[in-house]
Amino acid sequence: MELHFDYSGLYEFLYSVSSWLLWLVGRAFEFIGVDSDNFFYPVRQFLTDQQFVYFVALILVALIYLVAGLLFGIQFIWMERKFLGRFMDRRGTQVGFLGFFQNFADAFKVLLKAVIIPKDSDKRVYQFAIFGILAVSFMLLGLVPWDNNFYAVNVPLALLLGLAVFSLAPFTLILAGWSSNNKYTVIGGMRGAAQLIAYEIPILLVVVSAVVMTGTLNFAEMVAWQQNNVLLFIPLFIGAITFFIAGVAESERIPFDLPEAESELVEGWQTEYGSLGWGLIMAADYLRAYIVCVLFSIIFLGGWAGPDFIPGSVWLLTKAAIVFFFMVWLRAATVRIRTDQLLKFCWNRLLPLAVINLAIAVLIRVYSVGWW
Amino acid sequence: MLVDDYYPVAIFALISVLVPLIAFFANRLFRPTNSTALRETTYECGEEPIGQAQVQFHVQFYIYAIIFVVFDIVTVFLMIWALAFDSFGIDSDNLTNNLPLVCASAFTGTMLLGVYYVIKKEKILWI
Repeated sequence: MELHFDYSGLYEFLYSVSSWLLWLVGRAFEFIGVDSDNFFYPVRQFLTDQQFVYFVALILVALIYLVAGLLFGIQFIWMERKFLGRFMDRRGTQVGFLGFFQNFADAFKVLLKAVIIPKDSDKRVYQFAIFGILAVSFMLLGLVPWDNNFYAVNVPLALLLGLAVFSLAPFTLILAGWSSNNKYTVIGGMRGAAQLIAYEIPILLVVVSAVVMTGTLNFAEMVAWQQNNVLLFIPLFIGAITFFIAGVAESERIPFDLPEAESELVEGWQTEYGSLGWGLIMAADYLRAYIVCVLFSIIFLGGWAGPDFIPGSVWLLTKAAIVFFFMVWLRAATVRIRTDQLLKFCWNRLLPLAVINLAIAVLIRVYSVGWW
Repeated sequence: MLVDDYYPVAIFALISVLVPLIAFFANRLFRPTNSTALRETTYECGEEPIGQAQVQFHVQFYIYAIIFVVFDIVTVFLMIWALAFDSFGIDSDNLTNNLPLVCASAFTGTMLLGVYYVIKKEKILWI
């Protein structure tokens, strides 16, 4: 077997890499004399089997895609620091080249801190909650594709699956807040759960209207539909605005950061967490903002659709960064709203807007079949 | 086949659960582990906390949460309906002649009526 790698996409490339690696393993077994009458021959058979090659390729894809998503998601922290600095007429972070090393410095600092588990807390649940929220955020990273060639998971019901995983977050918030056994965290967790489940309804309804327009729940087909017809941002303008506002609330950012309102609740449901746990929760926060931005750009801005001279994933990430810029703008321009206003806003404003948006989508489809 | 399609999802879920676990166990090699009694007190600005924090919560919260969960499920039904929208063969001359459209409108309308009732009944939502 020659050293032939297939560069057409992440999957194909890593499949050829893993088949090459396991072919080497098979050669090594052959070299040490594991033949068909040897006791270890089944092991050799198993390691060079087609199914096992596929399994290894999938694990490689998952790891590489996870690291790529994490790096870009964490880069959002740098963007937020720089943009917020400019909005406040200062320079923002200056550590290293353009402040790029600030995140890594923070990560190393957090890595070297002692873990403190409060003695009144429910220790098992307290630790499980971190893994819960991290696993949910990491899982979401894998479900959103960057490109036709650069993806980890491409399933027919990807959007539904992604939203289902997204809706697991409130449970971990409540668990974290409740198990810490602190008044701040309990109130923060309850608020967080209420806010997350409330703002999920407008998001789901807007996604339903996008599904009515495109007729699919697969990201790739959704983008293909927008390439052939029109960016969904134009017919579903109301829905896009609703999705954006609800997405800001879902990622607990400033006008809606009631779960961690630092002037009333110290740090909200994360008060009792320290060291690596807190660092990873913070990263997960930004990862959720990143997911919302990527979802917005795929559903409304055409994802990786764009002129061919730039690769598709660059288009997608640029669009996501632009959406995030508007999130930071919102953060710089607004103040935190009150608790009762938060829920009233969702019931009385966003829900009707989402329903109107759905009606618009249905009417467009009914009256212009074959045109759009 | 369905299993083949979702095989990568299972692998990714496995990885995304394992990565934080491994990170935490690897972190044991770096971090200091000396702990004192004062460190482990609940964070309440240096005061001893009075009573338990895990109190009974206002029942309104749970009712409110249940309404939202019901709405969640309804939206998932609507999503399946939207996925099948192309196969309805909509008659655009007379909208009331389309059974799927009428059914979905009645469904959503009922839910919205319920939400309207809840907003009217619970004047202030305290969380």
